[in-house]
Amino acid sequence: MLALAGCSGGGDDGGGDGGAVELMHAWTGGDGAEAIESLENAFAEEHPDVERDFRAIGGEGNVELDATVASRLRDGNPPSVFAGWPGNNLVQYEGVLGDVEEDVWEQANLKEAHVDEVVEFCRGPDGMSAVPIGSHRMNDLFYSVEVLEQAGVDPDGIDSFDAFLDALDTIETETDAQPYVNGLATWINLQLFAVTMQGTQGVDAYMDFIEGNGDRAAVQATFENMEELLTNYLNPDAAEIGFTEANQSIMADEAGFIHQGNWAAGAYVAEELTFGEDWDRIQFPGTENMYGFHVDSFIYPSDNPTPEASKTFLRFAGSEQAHIAFNQFKGSIPTRETDTSDFSPYLTETIEDFENAEHRPPTLAHGLAVPQATQADLEDVLADSFLDPYNVESATDGFMNAI
Amino acid sequence: MKLRQLVARIRNRGDGSAGEAEKPRTDGGATATATDPRARTRFQQFRDSEFIQSAPFWLPPFLLMGFFVYGAIGWNFWISLTDYSGFGSIDYFDLSLENYREMLNDPQIWDVTQNTFVLIILFTLACLVLGLLLAILLDRKIRFGRGFRTIYLLPFSLSFIVTAQFWRWMYNFEDGIVNQTFGFLGLGQHSWLGDPGLVLFSVIFALVWQFSGYTMVIYLAALQAIPTDQYEAARADGAGTFKMYWRVIIPQLKPAMVSASVVLVLFALKAFDFLYAIWGWRPRRGADILATKMVRESFQRQEWAYGASIALFLFILSLAIITPYLYQQYRRGNL
Repeated sequence: MLALAGCSGGGDDGGGDGGAVELMHAWTGGDGAEAIESLENAFAEEHPDVERDFRAIGGEGNVELDATVASRLRDGNPPSVFAGWPGNNLVQYEGVLGDVEEDVWEQANLKEAHVDEVVEFCRGPDGMSAVPIGSHRMNDLFYSVEVLEQAGVDPDGIDSFDAFLDALDTIETETDAQPYVNGLATWINLQLFAVTMQGTQGVDAYMDFIEGNGDRAAVQATFENMEELLTNYLNPDAAEIGFTEANQSIMADEAGFIHQGNWAAGAYVAEELTFGEDWDRIQFPGTENMYGFHVDSFIYPSDNPTPEASKTFLRFAGSEQAHIAFNQFKGSIPTRETDTSDFSPYLTETIEDFENAEHRPPTLAHGLAVPQATQADLEDVLADSFLDPYNVESATDGFMNAI
Repeated sequence: MKLRQLVARIRNRGDGSAGEAEKPRTDGGATATATDPRARTRFQQFRDSEFIQSAPFWLPPFLLMGFFVYGAIGWNFWISLTDYSGFGSIDYFDLSLENYREMLNDPQIWDVTQNTFVLIILFTLACLVLGLLLAILLDRKIRFGRGFRTIYLLPFSLSFIVTAQFWRWMYNFEDGIVNQTFGFLGLGQHSWLGDPGLVLFSVIFALVWQFSGYTMVIYLAALQAIPTDQYEAARADGAGTFKMYWRVIIPQLKPAMVSASVVLVLFALKAFDFLYAIWGWRPRRGADILATKMVRESFQRQEWAYGASIALFLFILSLAIITPYLYQQYRRGNL
């Protein structure tokens, strides 16, 4: 079986521009679909001679896409390029990715253009195999302006986790709205763990933890804070809904706060809600001087069906033009210098914060901080011992063992 | 040996009363009659034996089954002995029982095995009891009996993807019909697909809804095969309705019950699609079963060898359940 698939797929390695660039991504709908379409159009305009076959494979958190890509890679029948997280996420693909440092990064002068961390994130076990396309901010705390006004909560006063809990308490007593909404999926709560740890224990404690030198007390304190937030203020149907559904209750002014990567803002824009009037955000309490770092990238498999065309696409993907075309629709920001005049006020602020942030801790739940296997172990711990009922002790042990 | 007897029996049955020796052969008949029987060589004897003559009928399916089913199981077992993971190639000669040792130490395995057993037992029993009650009701010539039969059987004909979506809506915390009804009756709202103590039972309930109709049809067929004079005799001897069913009718349904339960148990072992349609890769804690764990290990974590060993464990469990049934059928001469 393996051999058969290998024969039919990866035969024309040296062939060059033999066929269309087959790009696999997970942006099936809404802002994601618009963004990839805009990117594709921009690419077609720039390189009309390169054929394209962009394919969407749906699912939250890249799960379905990763599984499909994995089986293609395993069968020796890789796509030309696939969307995925760089950083430690690349570790799992050791041996099946190609190095495009010379042909893409150097030839298109991308190293000088992109921020240093991103350049490093794109370096995996097989060399520089990825090219960034944008970054979502991971430490926003979104809220419904209406609900906070009703409750009489001043968002600018929320400067610590305790102040945040007080605000939730006020919403609970003063309004009918749910103070805090989200889904109970493991990735959502792994993200919540990361941002709570950054906010309550400091960025150094977080960096130590992801590097394997975590302080048990800091991990435990993080879980205790999460438990307090989730047991007292979370919507009761959290286990049954995803974040998009949860986000809808923010838009309907039925809930106060939600913490998500800033793709959540894409839904507000799609509903034509006004930034600052209908919805707004503060930084997750305690992370005001940080930019929670997430990167989306395109990854280049070795044994590539269209090596030259793939590299042409990747050189384009790292360009200013591509970053503007993609990010203004996706609701993410460029990881390089760009003209920001096309971006919304919210994204323009985010771009400024990105440049001025003191710390840019890499995301734990989206591939940058730890390899995929470790991330899966952490999610297992959350699923088995923390996500309702909340067993702080056992979750702390699990997290300390996993990294 | 067994296969040969089986083939011989099938041939004999097929031939019926016609004398076999005189019957013209359908295949290669001319050569068989042209040869003098006394001069037949060993090879010719072999060639003309029923075993070989019947080969065109049993050999192709035998080879296909052997390769695609038993060969695949063997291959799976072999992979489970390797340490294959990620995207490398498989080293088929570095074998150990490491994956099975790891399974013993994996706390999740115990949880999912326990969930698998609870699912099997409760689901099968509930389907058998409910199916029996429905069958008896329908057998009592009620009005619109045919209509009810179709209604009860209908869920069985739907795909799990569809029924799982139905139940997701019905179990919805805020607007689902289940919680609406509970609220109306003053029983409070429950998180049917969220509370780890409830999820497995919610799943079992939904699966019973889907499968009791199937059980009902099997019982109904068996019930309708029981002659009416037995009912009359029981009545004449003064048995009430309950006693009549309990003592006379239900004991005769045992073969139907056994075959239905084998199908139900095997289904419960593989309830993967239903869970996947509700939760995706990782079912809510409390509803994770061996099948979902196996798929997660293999296709999400790329731990192929470990996934293969879980698959083999699942296979052995199914075998353990089906073997007594096959043995019983064999003793009765049904195989």
